Amino acid sequence: MLRYTAVLVFWFALNTASTAWGDEELSKGPGFYVIVNAVRNLDELDRKFLADVFFKRLKHWPEAKPIAPVDQRADSEVRLRFSESVLSRSVLGVRNYWQQLIFSGRDVPPPELSSDDEVLKFVESNPEAIGYVSATSLTEGANAHGVKAVTIR
Amino acid sequence: MLLSVESAMGESATDRFKNIEIHGFVSQGYMKTTDNNYLGVTKGLGSFGFTEVGLNFTKSFTDELRTGIQLYARQLGSTGSFNTNFRWFYLDYHPSDRFGFRFGRIKIPFGLYNEINDIDAARAAILLPQSIYPAESLDYLLAQNGFEGYGYTGTGPWGSLEYRLYAGTIAFPAVNTPAYPIQQTAGNVPFIVGTRLMWGTPIDGLRVGVSGQAVRLDTTLKLGTTTPVSVSFQFPVNMLIGSAEYIHGDLSLAAEYSRWFAQFGNSTNTAIIPNFSVTNERGYIMGAYRLARWFEPCLYYSMTYPNVDSREGIQNYQHDVSATLRFDINQFWLLKTEAHYMIGTAALQSGLTGPGLNDGVPTASLAPNWWTFLVKTTGYF
Repeated sequence: MLRYTAVLVFWFALNTASTAWGDEELSKGPGFYVIVNAVRNLDELDRKFLADVFFKRLKHWPEAKPIAPVDQRADSEVRLRFSESVLSRSVLGVRNYWQQLIFSGRDVPPPELSSDDEVLKFVESNPEAIGYVSATSLTEGANAHGVKAVTIR
Repeated sequence: MLLSVESAMGESATDRFKNIEIHGFVSQGYMKTTDNNYLGVTKGLGSFGFTEVGLNFTKSFTDELRTGIQLYARQLGSTGSFNTNFRWFYLDYHPSDRFGFRFGRIKIPFGLYNEINDIDAARAAILLPQSIYPAESLDYLLAQNGFEGYGYTGTGPWGSLEYRLYAGTIAFPAVNTPAYPIQQTAGNVPFIVGTRLMWGTPIDGLRVGVSGQAVRLDTTLKLGTTTPVSVSFQFPVNMLIGSAEYIHGDLSLAAEYSRWFAQFGNSTNTAIIPNFSVTNERGYIMGAYRLARWFEPCLYYSMTYPNVDSREGIQNYQHDVSATLRFDINQFWLLKTEAHYMIGTAALQSGLTGPGLNDGVPTASLAPNWWTFLVKTTGYF
C-alpha cells in the first residue's frame, strides 16, 4: 500500500511541476546591461560587488549613501541571465537564498519590477538605484533614458 | 489634529501599513518508520504530527532601522502542540555595512543552517542533518532573547568576511511526564553567548566558517515518588562547529563537523547525579543539484557519537543516509519525499523526565537498522 501511495505521489508531483514551470532554454551570452542613474560617476563595477549588492550583503555605495537595487520578475529571461552571470546561481537558487533571509527575519529581497521600462524609469528617477535591463531595451543609447550602462569587471 | 500629526511624521497611517512586508508558510508532513519510533509515534500507521505554520511581518522605518516579528506554531510528535508563539522579533539598526546590531528574540547563527531549521521552503531536505540540527531541540536552540552585533566587509582580493556575535538567554520550559519518577521542578538558562565567522573565499561560491557557542542550564530535578529527593545541578555546554559550503549554478554542497562539550557540574547530591563531563561528535556531508526548475534531488550522510570515549554498541552511534526528492510544483507550492536509512539508535535516547517515544526500552535493545520515510508539502509566499 505504502509503495503504491509513494508511486502516486511521485507521479502527481512530476506531472504538475513540469506543466507549471515549462522548460526554457536560453541562448548563450550575457544579453543585459547593468544600469545606474546618469548622475552617478562610475563606468564599471566589480561583479562581486554587484553580487553583494543584489544579495543585500552590501547596502551602501562607497560614499555611504544607501543603494537601491531593483530586480526583475523571476520568470523573465533577463533575470535568468543576470542571476547566472552575476550572482552565479540559478533564479531558484537565488529564490532559496531569499527564503532563508525572509523567514529567519534577516532581510527581504529587492523589489521586483515587471519590465525593462519600469526598471529604466525607476533608475532614472532614483540617484541611488541600480538595476539591469535586456540589451535590446537600450538600442537608442542609455543617455536617452537618463541612465548609464556600466561595464562589469 | 490627526492630519497635522500625520504630516509632521511625514507618512500617513495608511502608508505605514502599506510598506509592511508580509510572508507566510504552511507545511504538513507525514512520517513513517519501520522499527523504532522517531520524532513521534511513527511506527505502524505512521504520524501526521508534523505541521508548521508561520506568518511574518517586517517594516523598514528608514534605510538603517527595521523591525520584524514572526508568529509561529507547530506540532512535531508530542512537541509543539500548535501553541502559537513569537518565533522571532527584533529591532535592527545598521548604520553601515561593517556594523549593525539588533535586539529582541533573534535566531541563532550557529553553523550554516540553524536559522533555517524551521523553513522548509529554503532547503532541499525535509529534515536537515539531525546530528547538528536536531528537530526535537528546535524550541531551545533556534532563537535567543538578547542582542546581536553583525557586519560584512565586502569582497576584496582575499574574499569577504561576515561576522556575528550574540549574547542573551533562551526560554527553557520544564517538560514533565505525569507520574514519571523524575520531574523537573526548576530550569533556567542564565546565558547563551556565541559567535560565527564566515569567510567568503576568493573561489566563487565557496565559503567556510567557524561557530562557537556557550550555554548553561541550571536545573533542579525531583527524583522518586514515595520519598522524593531534590537535586540541583548546572549543565554547561560549549559547542564548536566548522562549516564549508559551495554553491554554484544549480549545485550546492555542504559539510560541517562539530564537537559539543557538556558537563554535569555543581551537583547538590553527587551520589545521585555525579559531576562528569562528556564530549559528543557530530558531522555531515550533503549535496543537492537542481536538475530542472521543478526538481531537485538531495543526498546526505550524517553521523552522531554522543560520547567520543564510547563508540561501540548501537546505542552509542547514529549513522543516517538520506535521499530527498524536492518538487517545486509552482512558485508557491512544493512537495518533498525523503527516505533515511538509519544505523544505530543514539538519536532515540529518552529525555531525563520521560520514558521517551519507545516506552523506555533501552536504546541498546532497539532495532539497530531502521528506515524513516517522510512526505511533506509546503505552501509559502
